[in-house]
Amino acid sequence: MPGLRDQYAVVGIGMTEFSRNSGRTTRALGVEAVRAAMIDAGLGAGDIDGMLSYHGNDSTTSPVIAGDLGIRLNFYMDCSGGGSSTEALIGLAMGAIEVGMCRTVVIFRAMNGYTEARIGGTGRQAPVFRGASVDVAMHGMHSAAQSFAPSFMRHMYEYGTTSEQVAHVKVAHSKHASNNPRALYPQRMTVEDVVNSRWITKPLHLLDCCVETDNGVAIIVTSAEHARDLRQAPAYIMGVAGRVNKEQPGGSHWSRGPISRVAGYYGAPIVFGQAGVGPEDVDVTGSYDAFTFTTMLQLEAYGFCAEGEGGGYVSSGIIELGGARPNNTAGGHLCEGYTHGIGHVVENVRQLRHQADDFCTGWAEGKHTYDYSEGGCRQVKDVEIAMNLGWASPATGSALIMRR
Amino acid sequence: MAEYLGVKVEILSNDPEHREFLEHAGQGRFVLQKCEDCARLRYPIGNACPFCQALGWSWEAVSGRGTIYSYQIVTHGIHPAFRGVTPYPVVLVELDEQRGVPTEYDGLRILGLLVDTLGQPEHEERTGIGLRVQVDFADLGDGLGLPRFRLSDEPAEHPVWQYTAGFARPA
Repeated sequence: MPGLRDQYAVVGIGMTEFSRNSGRTTRALGVEAVRAAMIDAGLGAGDIDGMLSYHGNDSTTSPVIAGDLGIRLNFYMDCSGGGSSTEALIGLAMGAIEVGMCRTVVIFRAMNGYTEARIGGTGRQAPVFRGASVDVAMHGMHSAAQSFAPSFMRHMYEYGTTSEQVAHVKVAHSKHASNNPRALYPQRMTVEDVVNSRWITKPLHLLDCCVETDNGVAIIVTSAEHARDLRQAPAYIMGVAGRVNKEQPGGSHWSRGPISRVAGYYGAPIVFGQAGVGPEDVDVTGSYDAFTFTTMLQLEAYGFCAEGEGGGYVSSGIIELGGARPNNTAGGHLCEGYTHGIGHVVENVRQLRHQADDFCTGWAEGKHTYDYSEGGCRQVKDVEIAMNLGWASPATGSALIMRR
Repeated sequence: MAEYLGVKVEILSNDPEHREFLEHAGQGRFVLQKCEDCARLRYPIGNACPFCQALGWSWEAVSGRGTIYSYQIVTHGIHPAFRGVTPYPVVLVELDEQRGVPTEYDGLRILGLLVDTLGQPEHEERTGIGLRVQVDFADLGDGLGLPRFRLSDEPAEHPVWQYTAGFARPA
């Protein structure tokens, strides 16, 4: 993408409240989030002509959301997908604009992730075993936690990674969430809190797992040329990698290669190559944190630390506010709430604008205290480059690098 | 009618691969697909050879012996069939066949419930990476079976690793 680097930008962000009891439809959540992103960008219905969304048969499609808001679309696509979707759809939005199909694209995810379709699987399992369930479900593996656990356990075996080390991901994210008025779980946690919480599937404790949430989130992508006329400082897109895979015959991410090596291993050269920067140039990361382990494995895969050294890395303080490269500054899926990935992109846009909506009275003007005490600031100082690491499974990941 | 842990097993007529896999298991045979071009085995069930892309294949009986490569102890059951059997160990077994093929990181890694001699979930303290296992079959009725694993009487392949809180591998 050297030819497209910095040629597109995220210009609008919008969110509903995060809750475990929205009491409304995904249609209502999607409409509110998209509208909020339009207001943020200073765009009207006539200015939006593309829409992309992802779902797991649990949401409302683009034409319905657009229709409610009086938007006439020149392009839309609703695809099936998980937590690696947002970055991939940003790349698709750029392509759609580049070829002239549309000019400005909204990407949204709307889900009643707690009150309707829980990603963790509760209540969604077919009562009959058939087809490919012979390969996985009949052996007792049904949720994401259960699917990923063999990779996490093998990492502990191969590298001596401990639960206590990985718990630091939750500790860091909870620290960040304590400075996020929107966070569902703003209480600061300790390593002991995590390792003393009940087992879900060993090696995952309850507090190693994210928080299923009802919410809607939207972002708006347009050309850099158009972006400069809009309300907010653009977050320029330097590079993007979308749904990069490792080999997974039969959908089994544990079949080929080192099983604790995740797809980011293959995404890293794509996204860093486009952006012309390396991990050392990134000021803040937003990593899919369905589980504490997923953040650790992705930071390894993208070269923020060496393979196998993730346990030491995430427990070193580097990923905390005040550390060298904070991760998930809004609290992430572990603490802010589960958005299926898109919330991490929104937070990085806020960081790049220097407008993290923390408890600093001047945040909207970019004025922060940089005091990361509980109930204080969550803006990282002087952020220039932010990176997102998206995850669908150990076998599928996406990445995005943006700059001010 | 076939069922497993109280849940109906219904393999549709357009899915002969999964049906035959369970039929072989019902007769005490653990079979994998073998490519008729490159002769490599593959798992899970798929419709082409991931190594050479050939479509043709046949069933090949394998030893069902291997070593636990990774595992988990499921405490919070999700599927109705499994809520009543927690905690249960799901093991990822690397079969003796085709190890290190095509690269040193690859092998035939098979998921399965680890059960005791009575077919009940094995105890956690008898589960660990490095332990040797052999295939065991659950009877689903209607001529179908499901491969699972139980500990074999062979010595462990290497010092057994088990999850422990605070565990750190010696340098």
